[in-house]
Amino acid sequence: MAMKTLKDKYCIVGVGETEYSRGSGRTTRAMAVEAMRNAILDAGLRASDVDGVLDYQGGDSTFANHVAPDLGIRLNFYMDVMGGGSSTEALIGLAMGAIEAGMCNTVAIYRSMNGYSEFRIGGTGARAAQPVRGMDLAQVPFGMRSAGQTFGFTFMRHMYEYGTTSEQVAHVKVAHSKHASQNPKAIQKERVTVQDVVGSRWIVKPLHLLDCCLETDNATCVIVTSAERARDLKARPVYIMGVAGRVSKPRVDYHWVHGPISRVAGYYAKDIVFGQAGIGPEDVDVTGSYDAFTFTTMLQLEEYGFCKKGEGGAYVSSGIIELGGKRPNNTSGGHLCEGYTHGMSMVIENVRQLRRTVDDTCPGAADGKHSYDYSVGKCRQVRDAEITMNLGWAMPATGSALIMRI
Amino acid sequence: MPQPVSYRGMSLIVPDNDSEWKEYYAHARQHRLMLRACNACGLMRYPAMHACPWCMDLGWTWKEVSGRGTIYSYETVVHAIQPGFKDATPYAVVLVELDEQRAKPTADEALRIIANLVKPDGLTFEDAKEVAIGRRVRVVFQDVGESMALPQFTLTDEPPQGRVWRLPE
Repeated sequence: MAMKTLKDKYCIVGVGETEYSRGSGRTTRAMAVEAMRNAILDAGLRASDVDGVLDYQGGDSTFANHVAPDLGIRLNFYMDVMGGGSSTEALIGLAMGAIEAGMCNTVAIYRSMNGYSEFRIGGTGARAAQPVRGMDLAQVPFGMRSAGQTFGFTFMRHMYEYGTTSEQVAHVKVAHSKHASQNPKAIQKERVTVQDVVGSRWIVKPLHLLDCCLETDNATCVIVTSAERARDLKARPVYIMGVAGRVSKPRVDYHWVHGPISRVAGYYAKDIVFGQAGIGPEDVDVTGSYDAFTFTTMLQLEEYGFCKKGEGGAYVSSGIIELGGKRPNNTSGGHLCEGYTHGMSMVIENVRQLRRTVDDTCPGAADGKHSYDYSVGKCRQVRDAEITMNLGWAMPATGSALIMRI
Repeated sequence: MPQPVSYRGMSLIVPDNDSEWKEYYAHARQHRLMLRACNACGLMRYPAMHACPWCMDLGWTWKEVSGRGTIYSYETVVHAIQPGFKDATPYAVVLVELDEQRAKPTADEALRIIANLVKPDGLTFEDAKEVAIGRRVRVVFQDVGESMALPQFTLTDEPPQGRVWRLPE
């Protein structure tokens, strides 16, 4: 059955974040307030213009009805959602639905986390000491708890089935480090080589240290409203062409019984999101993959059809995903290099790419003048980007997607 | 509410009302690997769940399986995050595809169980260099307290199933 589409009826009108740090010294409430204020100001809105707030978390953050009043927002709608990486795009879709239903007019969506200094997102510390019950009994007693450990079977089976190599996926880190070197916000700005990645210590085979993202303290926010409302605002509106949220494989909680396990949720999400947008992968200028690991980027890009299934290793090591290549991916440096935000930062980056307002290190960047020179310390604005796509990921079995245009 | 069982520094908790895990572990403590089979369509499922994911029937019967299978995928943990595993690194976690019900009800489906690769004593972790996709394994049981045993898998001498592969290092 064809799914309904709200193509071009809703926009992202504001984006904002806090510093990316490893030791914020602040509460998630304080960070969320700052990120939301930045997004509201970016949109040219006042607090009284925002009447809906959504956020996502895993028991590690501050609820919407605490954050919104701190800024003087009176809520007509709010909701706190449990969840991680596939939430950004899903909540953008839910915001559109809440507005469409007449519950509110303008929705701010935030994620605030001390993923380094408080609740280690890598699973060490307090997370490793939690009691084990329910479905966790199927894996945690065997020393399989963190995200990297939980995804390992999928990565390894892909290497077995398709001959994908560590060196191929290392190119994801290489590309994103190149992009981060042009990003003043990035935690890790140094460009790295394939040898740096495969020479770094093992965490859980097949993942090396540099195949893994950076635990980070940060808050991020995006603001969604109707295209009609967006037309009067300060910032150039970015139109939402299609959105898919938390699309899952069968048996999502224990997905390994439904193969091929090298298949990830994008296989099911692509028809929804491309169907709504009325475009295909070849029309996308910039991608924003969920790079919790180098492998996740490779798996998503091939599943959404940017290359054939099984050819992801060749695709990510071809130069296509680098600035200056045909379809750059994670031009901010992403979770691997800019910092880990549970998916939000890649949507923020793509909004800025479409507006031509990326905060790169070009001398004229503040005035929107970009050199398109991608050598060290220069530009990361993509020339004439018209359509971007975000590929959200919670785990191999669950993913979300978002297509935007200027 | 039963007392939590301690294993490698973890508290494993199986409440009285969790019949799925409680009965699974009770069978394992008798060193029998038993899965729930649907009373309507006959298909087994793992983990034990309350309904059949293929026909939605609520009726089930515990059915014993051979415990023999093939390593379908694996990973080797070098940097443990759980304190109780720090002294065991590097250790292999395996995804074992059981011989029963392979490629049923569709070509891509099978009964696949997560465990550690252990020596035949069921207690000691196997040398992680021995792990490979395609190698044959059989279940062994690691007793944990009075009410629980963890099904683990150990290598057998049987010829491998299909191509044998491990990560080049």
